[in-house]
Amino acid sequence: MLADEASLSRLAALAQRGDRQAYAAMLTACRSWLLRYYRRKVAPEVIEDLVQETLLSVHRKLASYDPGRPLMPWLAAIARYRFIDHLRCAYRSAGEAELDDDTTDGHDQAVIARLSLDRLFEALPDAQQRAIELVKIEGLSISEASVSTGQSESLVKVNIHRGLRRLAALIERL
Amino acid sequence: MSHDALIAGLVTNLDPVRRRSVAREAALVLMLAAVELGLFLGLGAMRDDMGAMIGSPYMLWKLGGLALLALASGAVAIRSLSPTAQPRRDLAYVAVLVGLTIIAGALIDPMAGGDGQTILQRLSPANGLLCSLCIAVLALPMLAMLALLMRRGAPTRPRTSAWSIGLAAGTWGALVFAFCCPVNDPLYVATWYCVGCTMVAVMARWLLPKGFRL
Repeated sequence: MLADEASLSRLAALAQRGDRQAYAAMLTACRSWLLRYYRRKVAPEVIEDLVQETLLSVHRKLASYDPGRPLMPWLAAIARYRFIDHLRCAYRSAGEAELDDDTTDGHDQAVIARLSLDRLFEALPDAQQRAIELVKIEGLSISEASVSTGQSESLVKVNIHRGLRRLAALIERL
Repeated sequence: MSHDALIAGLVTNLDPVRRRSVAREAALVLMLAAVELGLFLGLGAMRDDMGAMIGSPYMLWKLGGLALLALASGAVAIRSLSPTAQPRRDLAYVAVLVGLTIIAGALIDPMAGGDGQTILQRLSPANGLLCSLCIAVLALPMLAMLALLMRRGAPTRPRTSAWSIGLAAGTWGALVFAFCCPVNDPLYVATWYCVGCTMVAVMARWLLPKGFRL
């Protein structure tokens, strides 16, 4: 059960003076609040870690708490920081994992991508398919693609635009 | 490790802490400012005609404006070290203050439409860069002090805090430098002092969040 704000502030003030019993009670109350806070935000398997990291931050920065103010906004600010830090780490490790996949199975990935693209291209009219292939995959300029396909430059642009829009719609339906 | 074991460990390691006090931190910063300015002026770095110039609108604008900016950005920097602070909003106020100070400089610009110097001549880039570098060097003690306070504090937006600290240190360095700078041109001051302050702010933004741990 969570203690009321005034009691928590008192406990924190006592903890700052070195009262271990008050500190234990304060940390226990903080833990309950943090469990509820993170349960709404992250997957269950990372809640434990986040609560522990936040409790460590509370311990490290106990001096920054002003007992004249309520404890909860202070705790919430630290918990929010930890949550954002966790998201940042998760995003970074997801990017690295993607990079690892690309390097280890680069050839397989490229083949699969090509096959998927070919399947999607089948749904496009030839003119759109050709324009996208030349400009977006082979890297030709609009004028080079225009010469190669016999379409005018503006028609190449229109075909690319319409083709990409159609591809996006197809992918969304997958 | 279970939560109970962690809490037990933290409780065992508890030592009484000296509570962070904004007033004490502000006093420390002001003390350092007084010592640095005293040393700087004591070494005879003040411009020779300061006595005659001190009452002029230009000098009032330069010293008054920089003092106001240094005070405001210093307050924002110290405030930002609390987890519950909103440093972005405070920084926006400081940015408005910077804009107003520059506008005030344009209004008192004694050389506007004056003696036919081109803007490039007025800006004098070689001297200006030197001024900016001097400002950056003079800002270093304040930057170090505020960086120490940041380590002790608990900013939950360390990058924004680092910008505030850089701005505070930069404007302080500019204020100290203003006592010796012989140039009497608001355009020059607005341009190169801003460059100096920006250099310090970028340095702070780059250095301070590294290794910071909440």
